[in-house]
Amino acid sequence: MSSTLKERQDKRFITKETQTAAKYLRRLEELSGAPEGIEPFYDTLKRIYVDMAHVDTNKKTVGTYCVMTPPELIYAADAMPVKLCSGNYTAFSIGDDIAPRDACPLVKAVAGFKQTGLMPVYEDCSMMVVPITCDCKKKIAGMLADRCEVTTLHIPASREDKDIEMFINQLYELMEKLEDVTGNRITYESLSEGFRKVGYAQYELSEFIRLKKQMPYLIRGSHAMAILNSASYMPADVWGKALHKVNQSLEKNISDKKTVTSKKLPRIMLTGSPIVFPNIKIPLLIEEMGGIVAGDETCMGERGMWDPAVITDDSFDGMIRALANRALRPCPCPTFADNSQRIYRLKQLIKENQIQGVIYHVLRGCLVYDFEYKRIEEELGKLDIPVIRLESDYNEEDIEQLRIRIEAFIELIKLKQPHEKITSVRKDF
Amino acid sequence: MKPIKKIIITSVICIGIALLAYFAWLFPFYEFTSNDFTTSIEKIMSAEYIKTLVPLFIIISLATAGIIITVFIRKFLAKKDTSRFSKVRTDRSRGNSPKQKPSIFMVLRWIIMIIFAFMMIWGGLIFGLKMASLSIPVLSCPWNTEQMTESSCYYLSHLNELVELPWQNILLFLGSTIGFTLLLGRAICGFLCPMGLIQDITDKIRQKTKIEGIKMNDKMYEAIAPVKWCMVLIFVGLCFAGGNFCNFCPAVAVSPILAGMSTSLYVSGFLMVLVLMGGFFKRRAFCTICPLGTIMGFFHKISLFRVKKDCQSCTECGACYEACPMGIKMIYTEREKADVTHANCIMCGECVKCCPEDNALSLTFAGKKIYTSSRRKIMSGYEQEGKK
Repeated sequence: MSSTLKERQDKRFITKETQTAAKYLRRLEELSGAPEGIEPFYDTLKRIYVDMAHVDTNKKTVGTYCVMTPPELIYAADAMPVKLCSGNYTAFSIGDDIAPRDACPLVKAVAGFKQTGLMPVYEDCSMMVVPITCDCKKKIAGMLADRCEVTTLHIPASREDKDIEMFINQLYELMEKLEDVTGNRITYESLSEGFRKVGYAQYELSEFIRLKKQMPYLIRGSHAMAILNSASYMPADVWGKALHKVNQSLEKNISDKKTVTSKKLPRIMLTGSPIVFPNIKIPLLIEEMGGIVAGDETCMGERGMWDPAVITDDSFDGMIRALANRALRPCPCPTFADNSQRIYRLKQLIKENQIQGVIYHVLRGCLVYDFEYKRIEEELGKLDIPVIRLESDYNEEDIEQLRIRIEAFIELIKLKQPHEKITSVRKDF
Repeated sequence: MKPIKKIIITSVICIGIALLAYFAWLFPFYEFTSNDFTTSIEKIMSAEYIKTLVPLFIIISLATAGIIITVFIRKFLAKKDTSRFSKVRTDRSRGNSPKQKPSIFMVLRWIIMIIFAFMMIWGGLIFGLKMASLSIPVLSCPWNTEQMTESSCYYLSHLNELVELPWQNILLFLGSTIGFTLLLGRAICGFLCPMGLIQDITDKIRQKTKIEGIKMNDKMYEAIAPVKWCMVLIFVGLCFAGGNFCNFCPAVAVSPILAGMSTSLYVSGFLMVLVLMGGFFKRRAFCTICPLGTIMGFFHKISLFRVKKDCQSCTECGACYEACPMGIKMIYTEREKADVTHANCIMCGECVKCCPEDNALSLTFAGKKIYTSSRRKIMSGYEQEGKK
């Protein structure tokens, strides 16, 4: 009976962690209208968070944060990238005591996982790559360094030619470290193979998004979010093949005119701070309250993998240049000083997805996203699109308050829209 | 660099180029005892043709030697470099990078370029000189009297001779030159110019051998702009100062020689070696300073070929800028205007080919879209991966 305090704490952590993850997975499964072929994605999330198992690969894993880390390089070193941005409530409550009060919950959750040392996804990592996109990421990089090898990528404030050149040099340094850690050489051939793996996943993703845009109410945003979230823990080619099956079933649904609902639901776009499983309370609430998440501009969602690396020069350096270019120029991350391109991106998504309202998600303490809210509210106000800002933390205490606000927002949109059914196939794509 | 230092260096280079152009006849590259501008199909078939081709062989071998030496110097420097990837970057790479399927537009562009270059060299010999009174503003040497159409570069660089022509000829020259410029604009550079074809071929060779090129950034393009304007001044003004631009122009080194005319080369020969080397490491290097292209660029606002952009679809990913051989940055930074035709744009369609957003960029002719960007096209190379 002499279990130590640490053991008891660990046990409690595991129980709580698996329970929360299982609960949110169940809520996802209970949500109607999931497309055929979504099971592999649920299984992945279950494997990582409920079973607390290792990532399904026999290769070394490299932890990454943010969208700026090129996964192509990690595949080129014959390792597997795992995205470690966390949305875990249990880890957050532990990290709350380690990180300062005003740090964002995502970083607190990462700190919590590091403290407990129980999560295999984190513990297996041979190396972590942390792009310095905000102050919290900078400090967490320092904290993680005593667990495994950590490489930071400095993200410049602008996207001029000189910034790209600087980033290319950083990528070369990163590649050297990747080679040291994995023991594999990065060659022209292996790099091309990395491009092919990620390129295929991106090809299927763009097909998925194209289908999603074609007919309204084809798939629920929460389900799409689960698919995109599980990309973090699956090899890109496996994920692409699984997504291919979903695409096929969606295509069939289009020809059968089968939608998730026959009612006309308010179409809502989610933007702002990242939404990571199991912190999917906001998309779930929206869809449980009778809305539909039709657009998604968050970095763990559609935006994260959307932009492909375009090779314009066939040399080795040309490919690295394509990666650096892709990492910085199209990225609408608010870490850049001038980020007006995000507004254009939002406007484009609003047009393509027939969005009626925008929910701006801010994680408490996520300053860069919070800064951009005012400008986006102004710009979207000009288009007569209602916007609300939802601030939330990684716990379930605010769930009732969120529910009331989301419900009111959905009612507001319902009042504005005329009564009619739109389920026809769009021809203008 | 300090601004004053920059100005001094730029003006020294420009004056150097001007002096070189003026005294071009003092630097013979290859001299025939007498220039023979008569040619015929029989001459091309005979052994005599090989003799006229000698300067061309010299140019090609010099350029190849230059390229090989540069690659070896790079390899040598890489050995001293402590960074590990300097070796991977300079070694011969094996394997294939992922590529998108060739588009109809690009294939057509290559076919048109090759056919036109053929016609500008041997067209007159085979099909006669029916169109020879028309002038196209293209850098294909008019010393080759057997080319299909006249090229405007001779009279544009010898304006003093133009005014001495009968008025009908002046009208015909001005009419056809301006007509073609308005109709095609700098699409002439991208589709017709044989000098462009030569540089595109050298670039293709580099891409195939996967040798690292020289990537120019915005600062370098800015630095090269004064040289371009200096070239325009030399091009137009040299005849009034008593010089002959043809002794300086690199285009002389190709077309007349291939057509079987023994042509003595002066500075042109040296320049052609540089053009080949430059075109190898930087795509369309000469086009960035081409005086004729710059003059055509004046009319970019009214030509029928246009690059259109749907600013809402653009994600500012900069792939177009990376792909652009002319370094036009405005194409990805522009967020308001739908028309992004730039004075430097040669309508090569490379930006449209590399654009990953549906309909974000398109090439139009007289308002009709002829080439449009598409996500599916750009990802077409990856589609098969899933079937493996």
